[in-house]
Amino acid sequence: MPDNVLMRLKNVSKTYIMGEIKVEALKETSLEILAEEVLVILGPSGSGKSTLLNLVGGIDSSTTGEILYDEKVLTDGNDRVLTSFRRLDVGFIFQFYNLIPDLTCEENVALAAELVPEPLEVQDVLHDVGLHDRRDHFPSQLSGGEQQRVAIARAVVKRPRILLCDEPTGSLDYETGKMVLRLLVDIRNKYHSTVIIVTHNSAIGDMADRVVRMRSGEIVEIIENENPLPPERIEW
Amino acid sequence: MSTLTRKLFRTIVNTRGQFLALIVIVALGVMIYVSMNIVYSNLAQAQQQFYEENRFADYTFLVVKAPESVVSRIEAVPGVIKATGRLQKDVTIFKDNEERAVGRLTGYPLPVKDELNNIHLLSGRSFDDIASEEIGIIADPQYAEANAIKPGKKIEILADSRKVDITVIGTAISPEFVYPMKDSSSLFPEPELFGILMMPQKQVQQILGMPGQINQVLLDLAPDADEALIKSQVGAILKPYGNIADYPRKNQSSHVVLQAQLDGIKLISTSLPLIFFLIAAGIQFVILSRLIRSQRMSIGVMKALGYNNRQIIWNYTSYALLVSLLGALAGNALGLGMASAMTVLFAQYFNLPPAAMGINLQVVVISFLISSLVAGASGLLASRSVLQINPAEAMRPQPPAIGRRTPVEDWAWLWNRLSSSWKMSLRSMFRNRTRFSVTILGVMSAVVLLMFTFLMSDATNHFFDQSFEQVNHYDYIVRFSEPIKESELLYWNGWDEVQRTEKMMEIPVKAIFSNQTVDDVIVGLEPSSQLKKVSDKYGEIHRIPEEGILINSVTADKMGLAVGDVVTVETVMGMGAVRTAQLKVMDRFEPMTGAISYVSLETANRLLGERQLVTAAMLKLDAPVMPSLEKRLKEMSRVGSVVSFSQERAVYEKLMGTVWVSIGVMLMFAVILGIAIIYNTSVMTLNERQREMASLRVLGYSKGEVAGLIRKETWLQAVIGIVLGLPSGKAVATAYLASATTEMYSLPAVIYPRSYLMVAIVAFIFVWLGQNLSIRKAGKLDMVEVLKNRE
Repeated sequence: MPDNVLMRLKNVSKTYIMGEIKVEALKETSLEILAEEVLVILGPSGSGKSTLLNLVGGIDSSTTGEILYDEKVLTDGNDRVLTSFRRLDVGFIFQFYNLIPDLTCEENVALAAELVPEPLEVQDVLHDVGLHDRRDHFPSQLSGGEQQRVAIARAVVKRPRILLCDEPTGSLDYETGKMVLRLLVDIRNKYHSTVIIVTHNSAIGDMADRVVRMRSGEIVEIIENENPLPPERIEW
Repeated sequence: MSTLTRKLFRTIVNTRGQFLALIVIVALGVMIYVSMNIVYSNLAQAQQQFYEENRFADYTFLVVKAPESVVSRIEAVPGVIKATGRLQKDVTIFKDNEERAVGRLTGYPLPVKDELNNIHLLSGRSFDDIASEEIGIIADPQYAEANAIKPGKKIEILADSRKVDITVIGTAISPEFVYPMKDSSSLFPEPELFGILMMPQKQVQQILGMPGQINQVLLDLAPDADEALIKSQVGAILKPYGNIADYPRKNQSSHVVLQAQLDGIKLISTSLPLIFFLIAAGIQFVILSRLIRSQRMSIGVMKALGYNNRQIIWNYTSYALLVSLLGALAGNALGLGMASAMTVLFAQYFNLPPAAMGINLQVVVISFLISSLVAGASGLLASRSVLQINPAEAMRPQPPAIGRRTPVEDWAWLWNRLSSSWKMSLRSMFRNRTRFSVTILGVMSAVVLLMFTFLMSDATNHFFDQSFEQVNHYDYIVRFSEPIKESELLYWNGWDEVQRTEKMMEIPVKAIFSNQTVDDVIVGLEPSSQLKKVSDKYGEIHRIPEEGILINSVTADKMGLAVGDVVTVETVMGMGAVRTAQLKVMDRFEPMTGAISYVSLETANRLLGERQLVTAAMLKLDAPVMPSLEKRLKEMSRVGSVVSFSQERAVYEKLMGTVWVSIGVMLMFAVILGIAIIYNTSVMTLNERQREMASLRVLGYSKGEVAGLIRKETWLQAVIGIVLGLPSGKAVATAYLASATTEMYSLPAVIYPRSYLMVAIVAFIFVWLGQNLSIRKAGKLDMVEVLKNRE
């Protein structure tokens, strides 16, 4: 077992009960997530990739199996453990940004910074994502790419060990999408966090250290990428 | 059922908590409206019917003594339809327990039914059914009940210095004794100590040794009669017989109290429900506006399918109409039940015949109309926004809500200190100004109701405190059946238990100034009196002047009398010669109740042309209640009544029982209203901000922290509402008290500092309850589900 394993998923499954039918979103799955890697989870819609991400991020609980983080069990149903995990160790980035409309860029970032004992400087992070000049703008005054960069800043400011991105480029145009991916890699390099990206865009897999392919709620293959491409060189 | 209707029902089921809260508010409004209006119409009708059937006099004249024959002369005055001559006199009743009470012995010419102010028999037999030689009286039901008197029981009275045994043959009520009070210095009825004794006129004349004599003339006037003219004509006829007083029906003491109560009910029956309806309308407007915003996409789809604006608007308005319909149904059911209970209570409180338990259909119909009208208006107003929804646009996901800078941000020193969550709450409130204002107004109204309730209770307590505790320092007050020499009191000072004795003289008078005459009671006290002080309604103590008079503002204002003027007073003791004197007005005070003016004991004696006479004495003893001494006093001749201070207090406290009940009910209404408002606001905030809350949960905020966000927002609105509600409540209650002031009562708007705190605490409790009812929802938030959906 490599000693740089950050998270370990053991026989984890997730079944949703929707009215009278059961949907097996994730069949029994095991996976190890390594520290400081860029892991891309690829698959068509309904393949279980977002479910996997939500379980890893502690915003959903598994039906069976066990998730270990730093060799500590997250899946014992204790909301306080999960909340503290999300608070201190995880940064989430969504397709639809989910910014707080009543807070400016700076305040959205500060909102997250207030949660942890030693956050990054809000201003520094805003510089990193290139939005320092627009820090007093509200989400409704920003373009999609800018909103996503605020969301990234908000996730990063907490110094999370894991950055989870659910279709981060899904709502963005090609150029902006690539810029956002570049930012994610830069952040991994600068802050040594693990970056997990869920997408149906297989081109993004080229920038990953490892690619997990999923279909119908199962992992079908895990590819190790010896030479990941820089984001600006990938094409779709 | 059309699909659109089915959608409406689904919406109702999904928002059932809010739907129910709205129904509760409407139901409360309707309940108050229906019950108060029906109580009013029942009582007003009972009053009118009672007055008509028992021929309540339009005008009353009191004289010292006149022959019965004068009645026919008065009946001849144009405009007088009927005149009744009566003999009425207060006599001492010896009760079984050796206590004494005052009986107002009232003579009724037979047959009773033909005369004015006749009686309505409640139990036993009427005068027409008894043998002429038998002496039978009919008592008022409250005296009978308070003293456990049943028909057939004998009571002993002192009349014309003789003890007479008479048999009680029944109980009856009369329009003039609806609220029987001994005199204008009484604060309220004391049925244990004062009763009405009704008897055939001939027997009264015989017992009092005044055959063929009367001392009252009651008049029934033609509807278009010139009252002032008749007053002067009849006054002239009665002048030789010692004119004591005269008053129209509107000044008759019992009528004044009943009418004031009815006016109060009328005022509450319209104003209070209005508050509830307006709040319900405001909340409905906000809920529907939000509903339409959140169902924007569905509305877009419906429009794209071909539904027109009218159908969609009607669908949303129906939500409000259903609330009003169900609210009105529940409100009517509760209101009708409450109305009959309240009518019974009021009819008992007043000596009214069992009131007709009518269900006033008009009130019921109007309650439905008003609530539907309010609902329809708020529904239509809210669903206007449906018109602006463009189907193509509506079906695309909505852009983020527009965040804006708030005026608070201009105060950088404050803003920079706020945490992000406070900034969120403040901006969200400024963004949702309408909802924000409706909530503040709602909380304000609930607080106004609370303040009103507390102020009523404080004013009542203050009234008690001022009229008893602050001014009376005696343990017993002894009234004599006739004036006695003050030297006779010296003997009491020899008793061991007696610490102090003070003298008192009570003289009913007519005050005359610039051609106006007003009835007043003059009380003579020693200016250095320690056992009784004179306080105005604000609690300020006024000195009793050695010379001249300390006049009450009610009497003074009626005549335009100012300090420094000289007023003429005419004694009307009902015995001896009428005496007139001039008194200089030294000071005036605003009394809380009654029309009593004060002079020194010496001045009082001078008025009667006497020296060193007293009509009552106050005693300070070693202990507040001393039964042995009480017994000794009661056994003495010429002692009319012996009342302990604690006994007076007990009577008062019993009377206040009904006040506490209504205060309790009002308090309940205010709390329910407050809970419903806060619940609705929190639920709306919760629903609208699910996505934000889910985002925060993902960021790592705990359930408690996220719920705290909603709490912050509601608290902010609640605190503003409470802060504004406290002074508004005081203003409303002050205005109400001012409008409810009568000649007999004038409560100052006193509110104890403690009550502000109490109101705030009760308000905090309802805010807390309303929040906790709604915030349970926050715990059930499904982050994955919420963040997945764009709408």
